[in-house]
Amino acid sequence: MIIKAAKKYWLEVLLVTPLLAYLLGFTLWPIIHSTIYAFTNYINGDFPSLVSFEAIITNFQFKEAVFNTLFITFFSLFFELVLGLGLALLLLEKFRGRKFFRALMLLPLGIPTIVVASNMRYIFDTNGFLNEIFYRLHLIEIPINWLGGGILTLFTVVIADMWKVTPLVMLILLAGIESIPKEVLEAAQIDGASYLRRLWYIILPFLRPFITMALIIRGIDAFRIFEMPLALTGRVVPVLGTFSYFEYREYGNIYTSAAAAAILMLMIMVAITIYLKVVKQDEVAL
Amino acid sequence: MKKIIFVLLMIFAVIFVLTPIYLMVKISLSPPAEILTAHPSLGMHAITLKHWKAVIASGELLPPLSKSVIVALMSVILSLLLAIPGAYVLSRLPYRISSALLLFIFLVRMIPQIEIALPISVSFIRLGLLDTDLGLALAHTLNVLPIVTWVLVSSFKAVPADLEDQAAIDGCGKIRTLVKIVLPLSLPGIVVAAIFGFLGSWDEFIYAIYLCLANKTLPLEVYYYINRASFFIASAYATIITIPVIIVTYVMQKYLKSEYLAGAVKG
Amino acid sequence: MLRIKTLLLIFFMTSLFLSACAPSQPTLKIVMGLSEDEWEVMRQEIFPPFEEKYGIKIQPIQMEADDLPSALEAQEAAGRVEIDLFAQDNMALSYLVNKGLVEDLSVYEKDLPKTIIPALVDAGKFDGKLYFLPYRPNVQIIYYNAEKFKEYNLKPPRNWNELLAVAKVFKQKEGVGKILFKAYGGAPTATQLYEWIVSAGGDPLAINDEGCVETFTFLQTLWPYCSPDSIRAKFDTSNEYLARDSAYLMQNWPFGIQVIVKDYEKENIATYSGFAGPAREAHVVGGEVLGIPKGAPQKEMALNLIRYLESKEVQEKLISELGWPSVRSDSDALVPLWMKPYVGSVEEALSYGVFRKNVHYWNDFEKYINEAFIEIIIHGKPVKPTLDYYHKMLEAAKQRV
Repeated sequence: MIIKAAKKYWLEVLLVTPLLAYLLGFTLWPIIHSTIYAFTNYINGDFPSLVSFEAIITNFQFKEAVFNTLFITFFSLFFELVLGLGLALLLLEKFRGRKFFRALMLLPLGIPTIVVASNMRYIFDTNGFLNEIFYRLHLIEIPINWLGGGILTLFTVVIADMWKVTPLVMLILLAGIESIPKEVLEAAQIDGASYLRRLWYIILPFLRPFITMALIIRGIDAFRIFEMPLALTGRVVPVLGTFSYFEYREYGNIYTSAAAAAILMLMIMVAITIYLKVVKQDEVAL
Repeated sequence: MKKIIFVLLMIFAVIFVLTPIYLMVKISLSPPAEILTAHPSLGMHAITLKHWKAVIASGELLPPLSKSVIVALMSVILSLLLAIPGAYVLSRLPYRISSALLLFIFLVRMIPQIEIALPISVSFIRLGLLDTDLGLALAHTLNVLPIVTWVLVSSFKAVPADLEDQAAIDGCGKIRTLVKIVLPLSLPGIVVAAIFGFLGSWDEFIYAIYLCLANKTLPLEVYYYINRASFFIASAYATIITIPVIIVTYVMQKYLKSEYLAGAVKG
Repeated sequence: MLRIKTLLLIFFMTSLFLSACAPSQPTLKIVMGLSEDEWEVMRQEIFPPFEEKYGIKIQPIQMEADDLPSALEAQEAAGRVEIDLFAQDNMALSYLVNKGLVEDLSVYEKDLPKTIIPALVDAGKFDGKLYFLPYRPNVQIIYYNAEKFKEYNLKPPRNWNELLAVAKVFKQKEGVGKILFKAYGGAPTATQLYEWIVSAGGDPLAINDEGCVETFTFLQTLWPYCSPDSIRAKFDTSNEYLARDSAYLMQNWPFGIQVIVKDYEKENIATYSGFAGPAREAHVVGGEVLGIPKGAPQKEMALNLIRYLESKEVQEKLISELGWPSVRSDSDALVPLWMKPYVGSVEEALSYGVFRKNVHYWNDFEKYINEAFIEIIIHGKPVKPTLDYYHKMLEAAKQRV
């Protein structure tokens, strides 16, 4: 039985082995190890133990970090998807300068996050350009403290993240749109269906798997957001990624850091599971 | 109606994308006095090339740039070489198995990098790859493989099954079918995967801290300028490194053409 | 056609891999975190005589204090340490010692030149063992916008009360606070708090003694009059905020002089040593120390380089080129003319220098004092109970380490 299967599928196994071996060979043990750390008592080394989880859950910054992570993930995904879809649909049209426009929209992708963050600081600093524009329009006398904390600052992080990653979403959706057979689109056009109808009945169904892909790929990274809030706001906006980073790198506690990481991982898995339950399976491009 | 919405969207998108870039360029070309006040100027008035000259004279431009480009290209090639065959197999598996495998592959991206970057970097340093392009590229490949694989799986899936059956009837082996039929048809997807791979490496920071010493990548070098130099110099540096980015994005996006697919379906 | 492309690609890849694996020349790798101007002096003035004398090439590597421990940890774990010598911020030493990443240099203590200031040598010791050797003491000074102070008829504050008064005037005149307190968190804020607590006569490591309570209470009063950018202020961003007039007074390390006066062309910025707390004027002595990673490939040569960097000749060059304070009591070179007024402030501040105790639980201290700062100053929690809580946390941490 096994030999038969091996004879039949040897090529498939051969093709997929390098990928899995390379990826899992280098990462599986570190991931397991980190999880072991999370469940180790950092005071006396007992395993398993929930001491690290207890320590971080009672930490006030951890609570903030969880809230901020969820907030940023939700809003940046939402805006990125809406804007990315809008741009992808726009690029489906034929207009003059389309290629130029597309190249322009892809530009933010190549700019390192740390540069994006410092550009955004020029805009949002107390003496930054946004306050200057408001000042000149006589909207404000005293500068607005954009990066000082609270919802306002969370939105600046969302905007900065959006600037950098919307093109990625656009790119995935664009690849989806490009794979819609032209005949289908043209046939619909000849039928005289209105744009909204075509969008709803033809384009979106084709795009759905790509939307799922964009949401999951981007969602996972949004949960792990790290550099952008750190470089843009310092520690005003703790997120799980920075929380875990500082516990380890600055305070030298790999156990609590791993515990925070484990919670982040769990959040991502739960989010994906819920999403996949909501979306019908056959529409997923997995 | 549709036109108005699209035009508004376009104007908004252009302003949104260009404002931060404009400010970066403006600061890099401004004399300090114009920016360093409570009310900075918004337009370009006096222009000075002082900061650009300082950056170019520092000699810290080309080595990091070439390192970043080489490492990013190496990790694109490595990840495509590993992912194309694997993704092809995954795309032909039943949904349940392939999705489970894909999510399993994604584990590496669900955990904050700081947790696993140390042990992973240690494996590469053990192999004597500290401060080499290859070492960093191998680490970056791990980082981008999940996304590259997924993009490839979904674009392989989009290739109509009849075409493959046709090829099989014509006597093509599986590998030949992959190379002759599936790959050309899914070129837009492969380009997107390559772009993801490139960018994943281009922007990466934590592995670079572990695996670079004297030869730094661009993000590390920019980080240095932001930490240690005036922000005019940092802006000038950031502006100069954006120029090759513009060229690369322009060249890459040319390959995102629909003709590949449309032609195949007709053919 | 396709085949030629494939061949070219293979050729290209092979040459890439080969070039990546090519062995490099034996060199002495030294890690420091410096600005471009400082590296220039190192490369052109300091390293060449040493390279000539010992016939070895020095490869300078730029790395920030925050990143050195990561890099060393990875190399150590892999059993392939490539760094021969490093200069590290003396605020970030305990992690290196706790993780066993540095050589014990105690046996070399007796060889140190007698003219090296003894307190600086002690600053490199943990539990009586010498791990780090001094080469660059440093201290924070006050930078202020002389023009604005003149405009509002203010004198630079010399104690906490005057500081509060000045802060209130700025806020009242401009509607927004203009005093910058480094509240970014991490080592910058911990150092700042340490210094202020000592000025108030307290022991920072206690977290909740009288001096600590007084400091936090004062900060709670001062905070509303601080610049809103304070919360993002650390050693690098501070310079920018002062230069952009978003703050008129700040405390920072002397490297800011180069950036603010030379790069930002702000000549209206003046400096002085600092202000006294309720008990006294005190400034934490920071700066960099030299250390050798455990398993460094060329330990002997690294020691030679340490001796060279501590020599009278080099220390004097560092004074005359960069205005760095010396580790020796016998170096008497002149600082560059344009730096003179600023260096005077540094020297005065150093005369009020205090040394931090080297403790293994420094990382925990840093964590708890920062969390106390956020809770008390930013979230407005009551001072005493919050400090008591973090005192208890730190006591527990002491037992652990």
